[in-house]
Amino acid sequence: MRRPRARNPFLLLLLAATPAGAQQVVTSAAPDAVAVTVYREPNRDPDDRPDLEWLGGYALITETRRISLPAGEADIRFEGVAGGILPQSAIVRGLPHGLVERNRDAYLLSPESLLDRSLGRRVHLRRTSRATGAVTEQEAVVRSGADGAVVLQTGDGFEALRCTGLPEMPVYESVPAGLSARPTLSVRARSTEPVTATVTLAYLANGFDWQANYVANLSADGSHVDLFAWVTLANGDETSFANASTQAVAGRINREEVELEAPEAAPLTLTCWPAGRTHELPVEQQNVVAGSPMLRLGGLADSSDLLNALPASEAESIVVTAQRAVQEDLGDLKLYRIPEPVTVAARSQKQVAFLQQPNVQVSFVYRTRENPFNTTEPREASRYLITRNRTQEGLGIPLPAGGIQLFTEGEGRPILVGEGAVRDGAVGEDVEIRLGEAPGVRAGIQRDGDADEDDHYILSVTNDRPVPIRYEMEFQPIDGDQIRPRGARLARRNGKPLWAVTVPANGRAELRYRVVGRDGD
Amino acid sequence: MRGLLLAASCLVVSALAVPALAQISAEIPPPSQTAQGQVSVTIYNNNLALVQDVRQLDIPANRSRQEFPDVSAQIRPETVTLTGQGIGIVEQNFDFDLLSPQALMQKAVGETVTLVRTNPANGQETRERARVLAANGGVVLQIGPRIEVLRDDGLPVRVIFDRVPENLRARPTLSVTVQSERGGRRPVTLTYLTPGLAWSADYVALFDEANGRMDVQGWITLTNNSGTPYVNANTLLVAGGVGPGAQGPSYGRPQGPLRQAGTESAGRERLGDFYLYPLPERTTIANRQTKQVSFLDVSNTPAARAYEYRNAWLGTAEQPQSANTVLRFSTSRDQGLGDALPSGTVRVYQRDARGNPQFVGESAIGHTPMGSELGLTTGQAFDVKVKPTVERRERINSARWRTTMRYVVTNARPNAVTVDLMQSGLWGDTRIVEESQTSERRSADDALWRVQVPANGETVVTATFDTRF
Repeated sequence: MRRPRARNPFLLLLLAATPAGAQQVVTSAAPDAVAVTVYREPNRDPDDRPDLEWLGGYALITETRRISLPAGEADIRFEGVAGGILPQSAIVRGLPHGLVERNRDAYLLSPESLLDRSLGRRVHLRRTSRATGAVTEQEAVVRSGADGAVVLQTGDGFEALRCTGLPEMPVYESVPAGLSARPTLSVRARSTEPVTATVTLAYLANGFDWQANYVANLSADGSHVDLFAWVTLANGDETSFANASTQAVAGRINREEVELEAPEAAPLTLTCWPAGRTHELPVEQQNVVAGSPMLRLGGLADSSDLLNALPASEAESIVVTAQRAVQEDLGDLKLYRIPEPVTVAARSQKQVAFLQQPNVQVSFVYRTRENPFNTTEPREASRYLITRNRTQEGLGIPLPAGGIQLFTEGEGRPILVGEGAVRDGAVGEDVEIRLGEAPGVRAGIQRDGDADEDDHYILSVTNDRPVPIRYEMEFQPIDGDQIRPRGARLARRNGKPLWAVTVPANGRAELRYRVVGRDGD
Repeated sequence: MRGLLLAASCLVVSALAVPALAQISAEIPPPSQTAQGQVSVTIYNNNLALVQDVRQLDIPANRSRQEFPDVSAQIRPETVTLTGQGIGIVEQNFDFDLLSPQALMQKAVGETVTLVRTNPANGQETRERARVLAANGGVVLQIGPRIEVLRDDGLPVRVIFDRVPENLRARPTLSVTVQSERGGRRPVTLTYLTPGLAWSADYVALFDEANGRMDVQGWITLTNNSGTPYVNANTLLVAGGVGPGAQGPSYGRPQGPLRQAGTESAGRERLGDFYLYPLPERTTIANRQTKQVSFLDVSNTPAARAYEYRNAWLGTAEQPQSANTVLRFSTSRDQGLGDALPSGTVRVYQRDARGNPQFVGESAIGHTPMGSELGLTTGQAFDVKVKPTVERRERINSARWRTTMRYVVTNARPNAVTVDLMQSGLWGDTRIVEESQTSERRSADDALWRVQVPANGETVVTATFDTRF
């Protein structure tokens, strides 16, 4: 067998003691270039912020690696891939002679697997005397599987590990073949001669998410906003992607539930024979738990408030952005590309501007929604920010979903006056953003006391603001019921009757109507 | 990692060089040796595999007991058969009385063991023999004339057993007692069924929308969770599950990917109803391994983008809803992929402005015969939306209702599109009294309008339904 040399400092070539014996192992430690495209969690509402501890989106990661292949058959191991890799989705291109098979091994090196794989093998049993510190070592053979117990055969006979009360442990001679520190993707490839190839590895990985974050600064008269938006990317993976060409994709994408083979790394739990003593009843078995392979996403505490409202001062000075993500169409989706390579660090969040639109025409409307014969005390109306996504209004740009904060100037400083969510909006669509309830604009329905019959109602709206407001009642009648207004006309929206009115400053408006049932009574 | 691997390989070498302990050397197998022989594995889709293992065994004449280590940890022992030249089966046993400290102590009741006590002050060891009287809750020992409880004082005591009872095993073990006419080494064939092995297909489709073409690669993805590696196995995959599965119509996914089932036979190896996918060469299937092997590579097959929207009965949307993006193609020999597709997931990619493939959605398909028409819903269109509204609902008489629907189909793309707009929930006796364009009644339940929407424009469809409810 020839012993090829690694030519690239990133590559390591060694001969491993695999069962086949002749297999050569080429390890590619890290990519030379990487591109990351982040996709949103498919089922997250635009007004839910991504949970940084548990990111439900995913990413397409495309890596370029230079790999020196020896002649003959080799196992190429790709290290430094994202931990959330979906191995079924991997694509490997660029191997000069194709590949035989791709593998992903998830039987991990752990105290449990080390013991389990040592069944029938020789280990060293090391004991340390508590009194003198003297260390004695004895050869032993593991005679039981790792399902909760260890029985060792020594020169003396058969003994159980950790039942004696002595400080004792097994010491292993080697790591059994096939155990790796983390799930590893590898390909088996053949080459007729030693060659250096540029290999592209692309795969989907879980644990990413992104959304848009809009900041709107309202003009003094409330008729325009200066709109600014970030692409906010989050990487919950333990792998960093340095100098990555970075994109984000907007639009809803179908994902199938695929089973991701969880890595197997069970804790080692040893049990002994019953160890009850005279003074301690009832009896509990002695459990020794070694190792804690719980894999969890953590360490994001500091960044979890990054998605919150921007500090006011930042919103003010936001106009200066040196770099902006550029939008392009990708099939039926929208792709946002950060023009320069950036580093998408492990467990971090990154924001890049993508939109800056001054002077967008907006209006506000207050809405309530009631069954027409539902008498209620005056209830708060919902406040909506409304515009249309057209160039006439100063927009005309696809709007990817995300949160929006509305600021206005007051007391010489920016003040947050509303918070809502933008849904995926195409050019030409109406944009309606619900900003919350207005305590000073209230609407209630009462029986009309002036009328003789009991199907007469009065809807009254009050406005405590010093400016006139637009108000809309979206009636929700039962099928077949009709509303007969007195002295007013009702419009229709979404198939339902709608009363739209301007309520004067510090004033009120009223609608008197009858509800007529399906049989006309 | 490098250092560890290097150290590991050095240790392997040194371990082999060290002379083993005299008492126990005979049984220590070298690392990574398996008792498996020539292994053939046949894997079905529904988490089931048939393993055939031809081992060379030295079988003495007359009656002997043969153990079979390194069989699947999830073996279904009742399915085991063993065949070989000149041997007859006396009995088959599957022992799952596992060796553990507790079992060891319980089986030692009435026997004599050696105790090694360690003096906590000076570490000095003293040995004595003891008889185990009971192991209930705690261990009661008789040492000479005294009775005491093991480690009652909490001081360290080693218990050394002289032997391990024969039927206690490290792992569940299959053993077969055979009757042989003659002694000698010969191949014997062990076959059994085991769960824990499964496979499915994964497809990579690179869609070129401008030219209406796509390239498709198919991968067989097999997974081994059976707890045992299969060394150098000859592997065959069967597209299909054996045994009764779910039957009857499946509700809730009316618009599945298979639009029309094909009737062509693919040029693949077949066995009865199943297509067979043999792996080209022997391979080792490690425990907890996902292994992928290519089985399909087709370029330039025709494919087209379509939009679909299905409205539920009396469905009103206050915000426009995105239409589904559907990738349509055929698996026929003449106009498509030209192969049967085993069930799996199709991942669709499209090139971005820089020419890099980007993921645009995925869809699961079932076993698909050759010649089928497929429509994969990969996602929802950002720019193509439908806003359905129940405009009016009137009661005509005690038995009939009249419902007027309005559908606004919008297109923010720079090219014209056709949207397949469906109204479902019509049941049988619903009539369409009036409609702004002619519909197709695809089934008793569904009406379909093929709506042409101009670039950056909208089309309004209205329809009035006469229904019983």
